[in-house]
Amino acid sequence: MNAGGAPQASDGLTAARIAKIAILVALLIAVPPIADSRFITTVFISALMLGCLAAIYDFMIGYAGLINFGYAGFIAAGAYTSALAAFHFGINPVVGVLMGGAVAAALGFFAAIITLRLRGLYIALLTFFLGEAIRFSISNTPEYTRGMLGLSTVPFPDILGFDFSRATLLPYYFLLLALVTVIMLFMWSLVRSKYGLAFKALREDELAAESLGMSTTRYKLFNFTVASFLTGIMGGYYAHYLGILSPTPEEFGIFRTVEILTICYIGGRGSLWGPLFGAFLIVGFQEYFRGIGPWRLVLFGLLLIFVMLFARRGLAGLKKYVW
Amino acid sequence: MDPALLLEPTILAQILIQGLVRGAMYALMASGLSLIFGIMGVKNFSHGEMFMIGVYVMFFVTVVIGAPFPLGIAAAAVVLFFVGIVIERALIEPLRRRAGRDWLLDAFVLTIGIMVVLQNLALIVFGSRRRGITELIDGHLSIGENIVVSYERLMIVGVAAVVGVALFIFVRYSYAGKAMRATSQDPEAAQTLGIDISRVYTYAFGIGAALAGLAGALLISIFPAYPTVGFHPIIKSIAAVILGGLGNVQGAVAAGLLLGLIEGYTAFFMSAGWQSVMTAVLVILILIFKPAGLFSRRVERP
Repeated sequence: MNAGGAPQASDGLTAARIAKIAILVALLIAVPPIADSRFITTVFISALMLGCLAAIYDFMIGYAGLINFGYAGFIAAGAYTSALAAFHFGINPVVGVLMGGAVAAALGFFAAIITLRLRGLYIALLTFFLGEAIRFSISNTPEYTRGMLGLSTVPFPDILGFDFSRATLLPYYFLLLALVTVIMLFMWSLVRSKYGLAFKALREDELAAESLGMSTTRYKLFNFTVASFLTGIMGGYYAHYLGILSPTPEEFGIFRTVEILTICYIGGRGSLWGPLFGAFLIVGFQEYFRGIGPWRLVLFGLLLIFVMLFARRGLAGLKKYVW
Repeated sequence: MDPALLLEPTILAQILIQGLVRGAMYALMASGLSLIFGIMGVKNFSHGEMFMIGVYVMFFVTVVIGAPFPLGIAAAAVVLFFVGIVIERALIEPLRRRAGRDWLLDAFVLTIGIMVVLQNLALIVFGSRRRGITELIDGHLSIGENIVVSYERLMIVGVAAVVGVALFIFVRYSYAGKAMRATSQDPEAAQTLGIDISRVYTYAFGIGAALAGLAGALLISIFPAYPTVGFHPIIKSIAAVILGGLGNVQGAVAAGLLLGLIEGYTAFFMSAGWQSVMTAVLVILILIFKPAGLFSRRVERP
């Protein structure tokens, strides 16, 4: 099968593997505080955030074969729900983030219902227009959302005595790290359960799965709703981390979707962890090449083309050599 | 908004004409996309960048070289035909061979990569400055007192009509057109009957790209040349292609006109920003209730 490649051949936790995981986790925990630079922390936050979003994306496309091409609209739904709840009603961002997740989940459920009859490319097209409708609705209602003027968001309140005033970004980083860990482990446990098998059946051959008595409807709805919920949570976090939201195509439109999709494909579809590595690679690469301006994006596009043509399993294809 | 305006015939006529002009533009842009989709099944997301290259070619030929504008339009179509052929041969064909069963979704993602590359190359080569021509032909036609339409807009409608008819005749009656239709209906059967389907794909992609280039060149006074100029056209073309039925070229042309009219009226009766929401909602409704498009009699696929 092309989209995603074979399931992990061996997932046994050997000693070597535990050591590798420990080193990676230690790096994630230790590098930003030791480097103690706002720049490094920002880069780590971007990479972790995009990596997690790309992994959620992978949860949809790499496992169930559902392509959400209006993905940025779902992030916007989560981000704006939380930001507007705080802005208009003074709701605590911690609650707001959960509300963002709920609204995005409702949207995902709705999107899944209306795409039930469709597949592949058609799902991509429908979700694309759904995402655009969300984004334009935000930019067209400046009286509530401040539209293109930008909506400023409140920072998180102090959690467990840590200062979330954005004066230092380390608390935001560790909050994100915790959030991403929970989300990744949750998705990982799902794809290793019977749900994972059902998603794969859905991806490989929907008709065959259905004729064997599997309720494809149920699993599609489940996959899309759960993924959208997690996306909304990430969107809510993003809103309060960023400080200002505006519905531009770069932020919540096609360009953001393409960015996440590219990270997902480069990391490797159907690998869940691949996109996380892909994000660190891509974000690092982007920061490193910031001086060369638009050439950076040309390389980015070429990388996507290269992956599509020659390295169809993405970074995950290297797994057998290094993991 | 005063509802009495609804009954004002000159205003309605003015919106109708504007809507038709806009619709003709969409139809022209959508025809190339629809052709590629109909024959290959590939959703070419880099279609907007073909459009963008067309505008640059037009600018170069008419402003930099100073040639008359029909030459610019022809040059854009020819250049884009070859660009299309090169892209198909170098990238899409190898993907089709490699990716197997689900290659269409992968081809869609591949064209996204092409979009990113072309857009940013244009930014590097030309910068973000807008380069355009204010008018290809001056003068306007007045009907009565309140209805005014410029000759240039009339020419756009005229060219769109000519291209539409030519495309129809080509696909329906020429040998190449028949081969294309056969390939789109059943690639394997077509191959068995001696049609070189990989050539058909290449030419289809070339012609589709040429149509995008032609549209870009023709519309230079409305969409000046800049790297992301293709964004708006691609969205409208995708909408028209879905409304018309994926792969149904005549349907796409009709849907382009319809979309132009709907947007003309939405822009007049609501603020212009809601046009895009209207388009999106319309497309979503069609995909939910009539996924094969407004004009299809067949009930099949998606």
